[in-house]
Amino acid sequence: MRQPKGLFSNIDWPLLIGVLTLMGIGILTVYSVAYNPEHPSLFDTSQKYGKQVLWIGLSLFLGFLILLIEADMYRKFAEYIYIVTLVLLVIVLFMPPVHGARAWLGIGGLGIQPAEFAKISTALMLAKWVDNTNIKLQNIRTISETLGIVLLPCILVALQPDAGTLLVFTSFFFVLYREGISFDPLVFSILRYFPRVKLKTTWLGTHFVPFFFFLVILAFLSLFLSGSTYSPFGIQLSGPLFLILLISLIGLLFLGFISLFGYPRNKTKNLVVLLSSYVFSVFLISSITFFFNHLAAPHQKNRIELVLGLKEDPNGADYNRNRAMAAVGSGKFFGKGYRKASVSSMRTNHVPESETDFIFCPFAEEWGFVGNLFLIALYLFVLFRIFSIAERQRSVFFRVYAYSVGMVLFYHFAINIGMNIGLAPVIGIPLPFLSYGGSSMMAFTIMLFVLLKLDSQRRDVLR
Amino acid sequence: MNLDNRKYLLYGLVLFTSLLFVFKLLYMQVIDDSWTRRATQIAEKRREIIPPRGIIVDRKNRKIVVNKISYNLMVIEERIKRLDTSAFASLIGWQVKKVKQRFRDIVKNEGVYKNPATGKTESNYRPDRPYPFVKDLTLEEITRIASRLTDFPGFYEEPTGTRYYPYPSGANILGYMNEVSRNEIEKDPFYRPGMNVGRSGLERSYESILRGKKGVRYIVTSATNNEIEPYADKKFDTLATPSPKIKLGVDIKLQLFGEALMKNKKGCIVAIEPQTGEILTMVSAPNYDPNLLSGRKSIRKNYPGLVTDANLPLFARPLQAEYPPGSIFKLLQALICLQEKQITPNTGFSCNKAVVGCHDHPTATSIAKAVQYSCNPYFYAAVRRVIQPNKKKNIFEDAEIGLNAWHKYMMGFGLGKNLGIDIDTLAQRNGLIPNSLYYDRYLGHHQWAFSTIRSISIGQGEIKLTPIQMANIAVIMANRGWYYTPHFVKSIGKKGPLRRYRTKHITPINRTHFDAVIEGMRRVVYEAGGTGKEARIDNFIVCGKTGTVQNGKNKKNHSVFIAFAPIDNPKIAIAVFIENAGAGGAWAAPIAGLMLDKYLNKKISDKEKEQAIINANLMSSY
Repeated sequence: MRQPKGLFSNIDWPLLIGVLTLMGIGILTVYSVAYNPEHPSLFDTSQKYGKQVLWIGLSLFLGFLILLIEADMYRKFAEYIYIVTLVLLVIVLFMPPVHGARAWLGIGGLGIQPAEFAKISTALMLAKWVDNTNIKLQNIRTISETLGIVLLPCILVALQPDAGTLLVFTSFFFVLYREGISFDPLVFSILRYFPRVKLKTTWLGTHFVPFFFFLVILAFLSLFLSGSTYSPFGIQLSGPLFLILLISLIGLLFLGFISLFGYPRNKTKNLVVLLSSYVFSVFLISSITFFFNHLAAPHQKNRIELVLGLKEDPNGADYNRNRAMAAVGSGKFFGKGYRKASVSSMRTNHVPESETDFIFCPFAEEWGFVGNLFLIALYLFVLFRIFSIAERQRSVFFRVYAYSVGMVLFYHFAINIGMNIGLAPVIGIPLPFLSYGGSSMMAFTIMLFVLLKLDSQRRDVLR
Repeated sequence: MNLDNRKYLLYGLVLFTSLLFVFKLLYMQVIDDSWTRRATQIAEKRREIIPPRGIIVDRKNRKIVVNKISYNLMVIEERIKRLDTSAFASLIGWQVKKVKQRFRDIVKNEGVYKNPATGKTESNYRPDRPYPFVKDLTLEEITRIASRLTDFPGFYEEPTGTRYYPYPSGANILGYMNEVSRNEIEKDPFYRPGMNVGRSGLERSYESILRGKKGVRYIVTSATNNEIEPYADKKFDTLATPSPKIKLGVDIKLQLFGEALMKNKKGCIVAIEPQTGEILTMVSAPNYDPNLLSGRKSIRKNYPGLVTDANLPLFARPLQAEYPPGSIFKLLQALICLQEKQITPNTGFSCNKAVVGCHDHPTATSIAKAVQYSCNPYFYAAVRRVIQPNKKKNIFEDAEIGLNAWHKYMMGFGLGKNLGIDIDTLAQRNGLIPNSLYYDRYLGHHQWAFSTIRSISIGQGEIKLTPIQMANIAVIMANRGWYYTPHFVKSIGKKGPLRRYRTKHITPINRTHFDAVIEGMRRVVYEAGGTGKEARIDNFIVCGKTGTVQNGKNKKNHSVFIAFAPIDNPKIAIAVFIENAGAGGAWAAPIAGLMLDKYLNKKISDKEKEQAIINANLMSSY
C-alpha cells in the first residue's frame, strides 16, 4: 500500500468545488429567505442562516475527519455501521412524533434524523455485499439477500412514516442494475409452469429495473392524463388515447431501428420484446384509466387528482404546490433579484417550508430562469462527475458506493425540484446541500467525503 | 454480459430529467405569464389611501365643518374561526338574529354590483375582503368592543371620518353625507362599500373636491394578509391628496344670529356681499342642527323625524320656495319704466284707488316718492305704458310685444330662471316671470292685454321669486345694475371661486336710472310715510323696500323686506321673507335691520327689539 502524499493530494477537486458551490448557494438562499433585520449577521446562530453556516462548518469538519480515516476501514466496518443505523431506526420509532412522523432522535433542542444516515450505511453495506466475491446477482438466494439489505431500512423508514426517504431507497435498484442484477430466477419461477418455453435468460429478468421504472412512469402519466383531452393537429383525443398513440409511435420508431440496425439473429427476440412491451403498456394504460374513471371511489379519485395537480384547490390540499409554482413562475427570466422574493420569503410565508424542502422556490424567484439554468447545470455536473468517478473505480465496493451516492443525490434532485415546479407530487425531501437542516447536510456531506476518500485511494486497490 | 453500457441508462436518466426541468422552467418562468399573475394575486396587494375629507371654513376662517373620527367594525369572513355568535352578539349589543341577518345582508348587498361589461348584476363578494359589519361606532363603543376582539378573529376596528359642525347652524347650506349607494359605487371608481358621499348642500356640490384624491400603495403581504413591506420600493405608489381648504363667504356668526332671529318663524333671510356675490347668510326657518344628520346612526335616528316634520326643516326655503315678491318688485318695474323712457324720475301719477287698492298717502309726484309710498296705482299706470307701448293698434298684439320686452328685462335681473348658485342645482327653483307664451297657454293667443295681467305690475299674480332671487334684487340695486351669481364658496385652497362666479352679469338698465329708485329706497327707511323705518341702524344709511304679499283669502300676508347698506359703497344686501307675518314693515324690516346692525356695526344697538324678535313665536299662524 502506498502512503498518501498529502491528505488532499488525490481528492477530486472538481467534484468538491461543485458541491462547495452548492453549499454556498444554499447559505445565500437561506440568508435571503430567513433574513431578520434585527440579526443581520450571517453568522448569528440565533437565525436559520447562522445555524446553516454552523451545520456546514460542522459537516465539513466531519468530512475532514473522514479523509483521515483509511478507505479500507469503511469496507471493514460497513456491517457494524449498517447495524448501528438499523438500531437507531428502531429506537426512533419510540420517540414522540414531530409533524406526525417519528423521524427525530432528539438530544435536547438538537435532533438528528437517522433515516438520513441510513442512506450512507445502506450504500456502504450494499457495496460491500455486492463486492463480496461469492455474491452472484443471478441466483434467487443472493438476490433475496441483496434486496433484503435495501428493504430492511426501507421497512423501518416506512414505519415512521417517511415516504420521501422510502422513495429515495428505490434508487439502489438502479445501482444494482448497473451491477448486473438479474430477476431471471423470479421470471423462471413463473416460466416453470410453461414447460415448453426454454430460455437461458429473459429480457424482462435482465432489464427488470428500468422496465419496472418505465411502467411506474407510464402508470403515473396515464393517471395524469386520464381526465384531460388533447388536440394535436386539430384532432380531439382523450389523454390516455394520446398516450397510447405516443407509445405506438415510439414502438414503431424502435421497430424501424431494430429492422435497420439490429443483428439479424436477434430479430425475433427483439420483435417479441418490443411487441410484448407494447401490448403490456397499452394494457396498463387502459386498465389504469378504466380503474380511475369507473372503479375508484370519489374520495380516492379526488385525492389522486389533488396529488397529481389535476384539480385546482389553491387554498386547500393544493396550497403548497400552488404557492410554490407561483413563486417559481414569478421569477421570470432574470429573477426578482437577491433578497427580493415576495412570495417565498419566510417574511411573507406564502410558501411553507421555503427554507427546507421548498428552498428551490426562493432561489428560482430571485434568480429567475437564468439562475435555474445555472443550478441545474451545476447539479448535472456534480452527478455526472460522481458517475464518472464511479466508472473509474477498480473495486466493485468503490463503484457500487459511488453509484449509490450518485443515485441518492439524483433522486433528491429530481423529486425535490420536480415537486417545486409541479412535475412531482409533494413529497418532503430536502434538496442536497441547499436545504436548511443539520441532519441532511451532515448526511450528504459525510456521504460525499467518504466517496472522495474512497476515490482518492482508488489506485491502492489491487486488481 | 457487458454491463458497461448500462451506465448510459443512468447518464441518460439524469440528463433527461434535467432537460425536462429546463423546459418546464422555461415554460413557467418565461413563456407562460399565469404563474406570475398568480404570484401577484397571492403576495401583492393594492391598498388605497383615502385622504381625510376637506374642511370648510367661513369668511373669517372659523372652522364650520370638520371631521370627527368614528369607527367601523370590519369583518373578513375568511378569517373567522368558529364564531360564538351569541357571545359576539352580546359584545356588540345586538340580538343573535340580527347578527346572522347582518352576515346575509353583507353578502347580498355589499358584494353585489352591476357589471358594466355585461350589464348583469353580479356578486363580487369575496370572503377575503373586508366589509363593515357595524358602522359608526363612537370611541367609547369601539374601545369597549376592541378590547375583546381577540376572541373573535376576522373582526377588527377601522377608523372612518364623520362630519362635525362646531356651529350647529347652516344645515341647509352645508348639507349632509350618507353611505354611497351601489349605483354610485358602480359609476365612480372612487367609492368603496362603506364610504360616505355628500347627499345635499355643499357636501354634495363640492363632493369631487372635498373627497380629495386617493393615493395608492402597493405592498407585499404575508400568507396571513399582514403587510410586510412596500412593493418595489414604493416605485408605483402615489400619495393621497387631501382636499384644499374650502372657504365660504358665509359669516357663521351672522348666520347663527339670523337663525336665532328666525326661531319659531317660517321664512328666510338671505344676505349677500354685493361686490362679490358671496352669500353671507342663508337662513331657512325652521331648520335643524346639522349634527343631527352626521353619521349613519344619527341619520337613521333623526332623518325620519325631519322628513315627516310638517314644518319641512329639510326644505331649503331660500332656494326651493317660490313666493310672489309683492311690492319689492316695484323697484324693478320702476327701473324698466325709466329704461323704456315711459316715465322720467319726475313723472307723477295720481293714486287712483279705482283701478287698484292702495293705502292713504300723499300723491307720488316722482318715482322716488312712488317707491317711498309703494303706490299701487302709480305702478299700475307706469307699467301699463311698458306692457302697452302702443306699437300695434290691436291692444292684444301690443300687449304681447310689451310683455315680452318686459320679460326680457326681468330675465336680465336673474329672475324666472335658476340662478345657478353653488348648491346642488336640482334643489333650486326657477321662480316664474310670465311671458306671452305663458298667458297664451292659459288665456289663449291674443286673448289678454295689460288689464288682464295687471297684478304683475305690483309683484302679485303669476310672479314668483325665490328668496335668493329677492336678495339678488337688493344686490342689483346696491351695485346699480350688475351682479355676480350668488355663491357660497369664496375660495378653494389658493384658488378663488369657480369661474362661473367670477363673471359679472350686467343688467339691461343704465346706471343713471338707479339713483332715483335708490332715493326712493332711502325714503322708505328714513322719510315720513316710509314703510321701512324699522330697518334703520346707527352709522350707516340703509336703503330698503318693504313688501306685503297677498296670500290668498283667509291667510295672513307674507312680510318681505329687501335692503342694502350703506347707500354708498354697499357692504351687504339682504332679503328677509317671513311667511304669514303681516306687513313687510312689521316683521321683515326689523329683522333686516338687526342683521345689518350685526354685520355692519358688529353689535346690536336695540337689545329690546332683538329680544322681542327672538322671542316672537309666529308658529301659531301657520
